[in-house]
Amino acid sequence: MVFGTHRALDSLTLEVPPGVTGLVGANGAGKTTFMSIVLGLRTPTNGSVSVLGLDPLREGAELRANVGYGPERNVFPDDMPASDFVKHLAEVRGMPRSEARSRASDALWLVGLGEERFRALGTMSTGQRQRVKLAQAIAADPSLVLLDEPTDGLDPVQRDEMLALIRQISSEYQIDVMLSSHLLEEVERICDNVVALDAGQLVAQGPLRELVGDVEGVTVELTEIDDVPGSVESVVAHLTAAGLRVTHEPDANRMEVLGASADLIADAVRDAVADSSARVRRIEQRRRRLEDLFEVGAS
Amino acid sequence: MTTDGSAQILDRGYRRFDGRRSGVGGAIRSTAWHTTRSVLGLGRKARHKIAPVLVIVVAMLPAVVFIGLAVLLGGDEFINDVLEGIVPLYSELARQSIAAMILFTGLVAPEALVRDRRDGMLSLYLSTPLTRRTYLGAKVLSVSGLMALIVFVPTVVYLLGMTFASLGPDGVGDWLIVLIRILLSGVLASIIYALISLGAASLTDRRAFASLAVVLTMLGALIVVQVLVEAADQSIQWRMLDPVNMPMEMIARIFGDAGQYPEIPTERVYAANAGWAGVSAAVLWARYRSAGA
Repeated sequence: MVFGTHRALDSLTLEVPPGVTGLVGANGAGKTTFMSIVLGLRTPTNGSVSVLGLDPLREGAELRANVGYGPERNVFPDDMPASDFVKHLAEVRGMPRSEARSRASDALWLVGLGEERFRALGTMSTGQRQRVKLAQAIAADPSLVLLDEPTDGLDPVQRDEMLALIRQISSEYQIDVMLSSHLLEEVERICDNVVALDAGQLVAQGPLRELVGDVEGVTVELTEIDDVPGSVESVVAHLTAAGLRVTHEPDANRMEVLGASADLIADAVRDAVADSSARVRRIEQRRRRLEDLFEVGAS
Repeated sequence: MTTDGSAQILDRGYRRFDGRRSGVGGAIRSTAWHTTRSVLGLGRKARHKIAPVLVIVVAMLPAVVFIGLAVLLGGDEFINDVLEGIVPLYSELARQSIAAMILFTGLVAPEALVRDRRDGMLSLYLSTPLTRRTYLGAKVLSVSGLMALIVFVPTVVYLLGMTFASLGPDGVGDWLIVLIRILLSGVLASIIYALISLGAASLTDRRAFASLAVVLTMLGALIVVQVLVEAADQSIQWRMLDPVNMPMEMIARIFGDAGQYPEIPTERVYAANAGWAGVSAAVLWARYRSAGA
């Protein structure tokens, strides 16, 4: 996807399975452009896209009748009651009028705004408005919901509640969700799949459990005792002598140790620390997190 | 109170929908109806109703006054007044709706577009079965429908009033011809004014500026034409660039009248109106071609 000389998305080839998918990347990574292409609002410079088995460009209207969308922008018609807003968008997405009214009410109850549904949108808090955005996205019973930064502006408690709602929508009602976020931690908490973008390029994609989680080796963090200088280097030397592979940055007390099972490495670390008069601050199974994917991509 | 054990409390909760969806047609209908309500201030605070009510009063006043005159003065005397040009013909009454049309075009119609851009609704609409074309179609449908009512309602009320006062057209055939002319002129003039209004309003996201843009477009062109024709003594054909009077001139021609500018051939009057509609539609599309993505 090219805008003038700027390449917003480049050589993107991916397939997203059902479930909750996190579209992650920093601001400007191409997340919103990707969602626009999925909705058929932008035409890729080249290549093709298929969503729910439909071509967004040729069958956009049919596709979008089955897709709910929650935009990033948090601006609404201020003088409109939440129920009217959700009902209207459900109607535009194809619900018969009477059905739209009851579904708007159901969706607002589901997101926890049942008692507030007749309040004007302009009088609602940021958290409530985010919930209204979610309600309008699901009211017309979509097969897929696209949510652009759905936790933007929420405090930690509200964020937890919103993430739980998104998870519930997928697990209880079998609605697939793609949410964009620059907060990797929240994606790790609720997503089944991840698409990671960086500067318009695909960094990683696939099931979350395959991309993050336990990997081979152990992470060790030591504390050097003041009257035993060089104890950390001594531990590294002991471990290397024991046939283990140690990645240790000079002047840092943290190291990655590979080359045996976690239990054997832990034993070796214990012995090396005892012999070197160092002190263990932390020792744990090596774990890959989402931010590691971006570091790998950058390198 | 008796109980037979059949009472139930049903918690329907969120559920799947397997009925038939209304598709693009339903999306256009719903958006046009929502826009109509919004533009008229229905379901909104009282201040949003002031301009629409003003337009309705201005539109209906001549018809009500002249029906009152017809009832008070009675048959023959009233017909003489018609001949003396005191009370209008149907085409003239339709043309008198120009004041209401301009008020609507400047004060009310821009709300149809500006509100969606200001409130972020455009990107939401484009995530539904609507495309930019069908979205704009819904807006034109809503605004031109309301404008058509500004022409239709007073003129049809006038026609009915005259008919009940035994002063209407002779015979069913003539009556129907007048009605068809009223409907046709109302539809065409309203589409042209709606496109001019929405085209000018699309240039800004602020309602006040949008109203200003509409007024400047219409009155600016009118003033330029006036200066050219009246002060600079240029050809009266320059009147074709006047967006205020050309739709009204078209209404006169539809009714078979000579109109205000008989020197301009009828086909040029239609061409001028088509030109204004085309240019306005082009501006509107240029502004929305990539908006909201």
